[in-house]
Amino acid sequence: MSDFKKQHPIAGVSQVIDTVKQNFITLVILLFIGTSNSDGYFLYFLAAGLGISLFGGIFGWWFFRYRVFEDELQIHKGIFVKKKLYLSKDRIQVIDITEGLLQRLFSLVKVEIKTAGGGTETATIRAISRIEAEGLRKELRSDTSKNEDPDSLQGIENGEEAKDEITASWKLSKKDLVYAAFTSGNFGLIASILGAVSGQLSELINEETIEYFYEMLPGFNDVTIYIVLILGIIIVSWLLSFLGVIFSYYDFRLHRTKDELIITRGFIERKHVTVPFDRIQAVRFVEGVIRQPFGYGMVYVESAGFDERQQGRSIVLAPFIEKNSLPDFFHEFLPDYSEPEFDTFPPKRSRLRYIRRPNYFFLPLIPLLWYLISYGWMSLLLIPVLSMLGWLRFKDAGLGIDGDTLRMRFRTISRTTAILKRNRIQNGLLIENPFQRRKDIKSLEVTVASGSGGMNFKIVDLDNTENYSIYKWINKDEQQPEKEDVSFDPGLE
Amino acid sequence: MQQEPAKRIHKNAIKAWTLNALLYGLLWFVPAGFYAVIAIGVHSDSPTPWYTGVDWVLFAALFIIGLFIYLMFAFLFPKLRWQRWKYEVSDNGIDTLRGIIIRKRTIIPINRVQHVDTRQGPVYRKFELASVAISTAATTHEIPALDIQTADELRNTISLLVKKVKSDV
Repeated sequence: MSDFKKQHPIAGVSQVIDTVKQNFITLVILLFIGTSNSDGYFLYFLAAGLGISLFGGIFGWWFFRYRVFEDELQIHKGIFVKKKLYLSKDRIQVIDITEGLLQRLFSLVKVEIKTAGGGTETATIRAISRIEAEGLRKELRSDTSKNEDPDSLQGIENGEEAKDEITASWKLSKKDLVYAAFTSGNFGLIASILGAVSGQLSELINEETIEYFYEMLPGFNDVTIYIVLILGIIIVSWLLSFLGVIFSYYDFRLHRTKDELIITRGFIERKHVTVPFDRIQAVRFVEGVIRQPFGYGMVYVESAGFDERQQGRSIVLAPFIEKNSLPDFFHEFLPDYSEPEFDTFPPKRSRLRYIRRPNYFFLPLIPLLWYLISYGWMSLLLIPVLSMLGWLRFKDAGLGIDGDTLRMRFRTISRTTAILKRNRIQNGLLIENPFQRRKDIKSLEVTVASGSGGMNFKIVDLDNTENYSIYKWINKDEQQPEKEDVSFDPGLE
Repeated sequence: MQQEPAKRIHKNAIKAWTLNALLYGLLWFVPAGFYAVIAIGVHSDSPTPWYTGVDWVLFAALFIIGLFIYLMFAFLFPKLRWQRWKYEVSDNGIDTLRGIIIRKRTIIPINRVQHVDTRQGPVYRKFELASVAISTAATTHEIPALDIQTADELRNTISLLVKKVKSDV
């Protein structure tokens, strides 16, 4: 594939839609302002905006060229400012193939190619046929060292086939999908967003509507309106989170080939994510509060190389999986990440600190609540709850080292078990405040690369001797330094 | 028990940080100044002299708090910060210890280092200092205020160590 290629024209439409999506909030605000004054000149604004984005879409498509040339993905684009984006094959971290609704109508796919590190750009090819995308993926994934040897063409072909062969698969059953949706913890988050939004809806809740309701419904008063409002928020946000989980994890499939994991998921938008094994920075098993009692949780992998705008920089490997089946799952899909046993726990003298800690932020609020709200003293009831959380955190905190693998377990609200390789640890940090110094304990924080930044795993109040042994373990001389995915740049400008 | 890292940063760091704090610390007087301007502005319509509009007790309180923070940052903290800053570069990793109240100790394994560079602002240049910034795939760590020569040497040492480790494959 050495000639420059163009995308399918649908790419232009897709870009227009993306522009509209990105400016959705601006549009909504404009609509509100526009409808409030009747002049209608805002319509011209809207038309102009749409015109510009149409122009951008069409000419963006017109000028977009891509090709794979000498181990590089080369993209030329830009209407006024010409941009040449060259991504070297061995820097590519993740290749995402997405079938959006629009793309599906024309049996096309969107390809996103991501490299490591902050500030690097994601190469997005908005619309090409599935076959082209597969070809592109294979070409970008093929081993460069093999390609340099022109004699063994046959060998490559065979090697390629062996590479693409699926050696293990896992899928999320419909039943589990529904369970996952039921137990998803997202709804708390959505509820708080909805709560904030409903505060903005005060225009809607004015005297007239309230009076209208008073007449319509018997037994309607100030207290019931709050109860109804809160119940409404809870139900709506729960429904949203339920649907969100169903839509994003519908028909979730995980396949393993020789070098990579392939994830396919989604209802309206089919996502197809490829994660090579040598790009995995860490593995996490997260047990949500609702899921933990049933013995279920979620498996994530951290991978470097997502754009900064993206919220989740982790890739879901299994949206809903039984804890007991984890060893098998790891054995099949992440053989390098077998779980070591926990052998280090925070010492007894940290227990009270653990129990107290969640209360610290809350205590100053109590007098305020007491003073401001009737029944504000009820907030005192939260102290045992928070202390309980602290105690659980103490009970759950732990770590274990086996050879080059570190396992850390900790709880914020959900319980997380992180499994990391020593050669993926970007830095270790010991933190000690004066109170900890007195008790001879420190907090340990380990950072791995994830997305364009890092992800931290922290266990507070560990014994000093143990802390230092982990510190030494991180700092240990490496007998056989592993080959790096993110290589060294001397940077001696 | 692990030993603390052996090396200290340059003594001039204290002077440089003091100067820095004296320059940028003027921000601490903003609340007092802001209050005075607002009070005078609001009062400007009334016939009484302008200074009657200002609550001088409040102004003094804001000013004194500002001054206190200003002096602390300029004269106390740089010294403490210097005392607490230690670092060491070995074949395996870069070890730093810092923090006035909360002590933080960071280890960066050598073969996680992506690049090193030296940095120098105007104040550092005046005192012939430079800082060394070490970047990994996740974070950037800075060893502040070394004299230029040491900084350059350190940068070269780290870069050589990294090359050695990486070419051992």
